[in-house]
Amino acid sequence: MNYDDETLMAYADGELDAVQRAEIAAAADADPELARRVEKHRALRAQVAGAFANVLDQPLPARLLSAANGDTVAVNDARAPRGGKILRFPSSGTRAPGPGWGLREWGAMAASVVLGVLIAWPLFAPSDQGLMVARNGALVARGVLANALDKQLASDQRREEPVQIGVTFRARDGGYCRSFTLRGTKTAGLACRAGGEWQVAATGVADIPAGQVQQAAAALPAAILSAIETRRAGDALDAAGEENARLGGWDR
Amino acid sequence: MTTATEEIGERIVGLLPRLRRFARSLSRNQHDADDLVQSAVERAWKHSAQLRPGANLGAWMFGIMRNAWLDNLRAARRRAEVPLPEDSGSHPSVSPADTDAQRWSVSEAMSKLPEDQRLAIALVLVEGMSYKEAAAVLEIPIGTLTSRLARGRAVLAAALCDEACSNKEGGDPA
Repeated sequence: MNYDDETLMAYADGELDAVQRAEIAAAADADPELARRVEKHRALRAQVAGAFANVLDQPLPARLLSAANGDTVAVNDARAPRGGKILRFPSSGTRAPGPGWGLREWGAMAASVVLGVLIAWPLFAPSDQGLMVARNGALVARGVLANALDKQLASDQRREEPVQIGVTFRARDGGYCRSFTLRGTKTAGLACRAGGEWQVAATGVADIPAGQVQQAAAALPAAILSAIETRRAGDALDAAGEENARLGGWDR
Repeated sequence: MTTATEEIGERIVGLLPRLRRFARSLSRNQHDADDLVQSAVERAWKHSAQLRPGANLGAWMFGIMRNAWLDNLRAARRRAEVPLPEDSGSHPSVSPADTDAQRWSVSEAMSKLPEDQRLAIALVLVEGMSYKEAAAVLEIPIGTLTSRLARGRAVLAAALCDEACSNKEGGDPA
């Protein structure tokens, strides 16, 4: 049986039904020339796909994250009832010179870093795993979570760490708060410094669409975003600010 | 529960890596590609009211990318009176073993394809869409898509053959 090139192309592209596939596979077994033609289609497909595959692993430029969140398109005003406004920090003031990332960018970036390892999504129960304990009506970070909040810098953390730190900022009461995500779960949270400990102010489940596990950069859950918005006194700390805060033991 | 707008933002962010890859396969360099993604995403926000709940945001976004790219090309041609990319330039000699050179070769070969074929190749071979999905993005019948795909492939195979065909069973570079 003679197959035209478009049929072989569709075969290589996985477009044919099971019967046609079986037919061609059998014919190619018996006909080296046919097998070679199929292989050429497959090789070209692999070569073209391979040439651009690395783009998926590159970090997303901040300008695209802003555009994707609708921040670069004129919206009515700062009080527009959009989620995107939650994390837009005022650029006025004399703090932190240099390229200031808003919380939104940090959040998106932190989430995208974590996503590569998200496979199963057990719903996180705060009492599990010894990460948090309830005391005097507050949840206090323990174990690896407390350790990460104490020591880890968002600007310098390994993907393999069980806890990924997102954004660090000063709360209105002067204390520090840090957002975090727990690797291997969809859980994100916000912890704030109080009485020499990290109190977990909010946890939430990140909404990551099915089928986008490998590539999606999800935003922080709404519960965390609003917890941040309620507390923050200014911009997210940059790498130097974060490190200084750590050196100072997170004291206000 | 997030608002609809918030959700659109999150989903567009989720699409960004693929939009960048698609744009990269259409443009000659990453900077132009990111410009394309940015203008398409901004366009999407301006028209986000058209998007119905439950609509296929991915197909819609890729459709906007296609339109933005075609508009850019037309504008660039008007400005510079650039001829249609039909004439083939000379390929600098490159080693087939070099991954960057291979990347460059594919990019170079893609840039010589007529727009219609380049879009078909980008959606199916680079983005891995089914013929049905790609035809929907391009708003053409599947038969038209397959013939563009076949012609584009033939041109690419010929262009890339210069370098790659000599090592026939060479397998794919990691």
